[in-house]
Amino acid sequence: MLNKRKSIRNLALAVLLTSASALAQTTASGVINATLVNKNGISLQFDTDASGVTLGASGTAAASVNFGVISAFGPLAGGVTRPVVTAANFTVRTIFDVQVIQGGLTSTSYTLTANLAAAAPTGFAYKVDTVTLTTAAQTIQTTGTYNTDVAHNLDLVVSTAAPGAGGPATGTPITATINFTATAN
Amino acid sequence: MDETAKYRMKTYCNIGWKNALLLLGAALCLIATSASAQTSAGQLTITMNVQSSISLIFQNNPAVGTPGFCPLTNSGTNNVGLDLGTASFPGNFHTSPCVNYQHVGGALYEVSSAFDVVVSKANSSSPNYRLAAEISTAPPANVTWLINNVALSNTAFTTLDATDNYSGAVTKTLQVQVKNNVPAQVLLETITFLATAN
Repeated sequence: MLNKRKSIRNLALAVLLTSASALAQTTASGVINATLVNKNGISLQFDTDASGVTLGASGTAAASVNFGVISAFGPLAGGVTRPVVTAANFTVRTIFDVQVIQGGLTSTSYTLTANLAAAAPTGFAYKVDTVTLTTAAQTIQTTGTYNTDVAHNLDLVVSTAAPGAGGPATGTPITATINFTATAN
Repeated sequence: MDETAKYRMKTYCNIGWKNALLLLGAALCLIATSASAQTSAGQLTITMNVQSSISLIFQNNPAVGTPGFCPLTNSGTNNVGLDLGTASFPGNFHTSPCVNYQHVGGALYEVSSAFDVVVSKANSSSPNYRLAAEISTAPPANVTWLINNVALSNTAFTTLDATDNYSGAVTKTLQVQVKNNVPAQVLLETITFLATAN
């Protein structure tokens, strides 16, 4: 009889312990409702071409190219060539890359246009590939490939005339800015 | 249809039109947004410094091939060759049909050939240029190199012309005078021409 009482007591203790242990196990849960707006868009950057002048701020949308000292017959800086010399003018050339990156668009190519920010100085003409630039935007390329460097020739056509006679100023830095716009097709 | 029904219908229709207009506006807005082309712009700034310059090239004279006008190798460049052949004092001997050969005095012979020099200018207000020449090494004894009868030196440039015009061909005659006591040998000179803008 005594043993039976002990057994009952032990059983009761076990049940009590078990239920206490179960009560002590706390749980928590939560959810995160996340959203992301994936916007489409394109970006344009200028990259240094292996065959051209090293660009200032290469890899950005506001780069610079310094031709250094140019002349019809004298030495030229590295990355600058002189493909044409005539009695009337000479052309100096460098190569630069344009990379247009797109995201979220179904567009498979882009159109590249360019224009001079201001009228060309006396004795100068600027060309990108075969297009002579003006202050009005002109098409350079109609089906540019996204996400890769596309090389373009940048030509300066310089009159051989003397300064004051239709030729450019000599011995002084001359600066020009070309605006480029890439538009998704 | 009673008045209440008509009123309900009218109200329903009014709400419908407003909603339709709103939806149409939203749709147009979305279409316009998606239809506007995606563009990106960049600026490339260019800098350069123009310098005046002149160039000098040698050209064959229009009379090339006739006596006194041997052809240049690499004509049209500033680094040409001129082969005067083989010559000797006795017997007016000379192998090249394009050279002029003559005896000068009693003990010298002279072989000569003419060519053109063209100097061009760019971005310069210089009105003309001066031309000078220099030989590269001292010739053997009793050998003299001349341009248009002006003897050349290997120690300094000798002025040939003071005011030559740009872009025009200036004909120059290279002469080598050899005395009859000069041992047999190859006579070789590199003659540098220097044009300087006035």
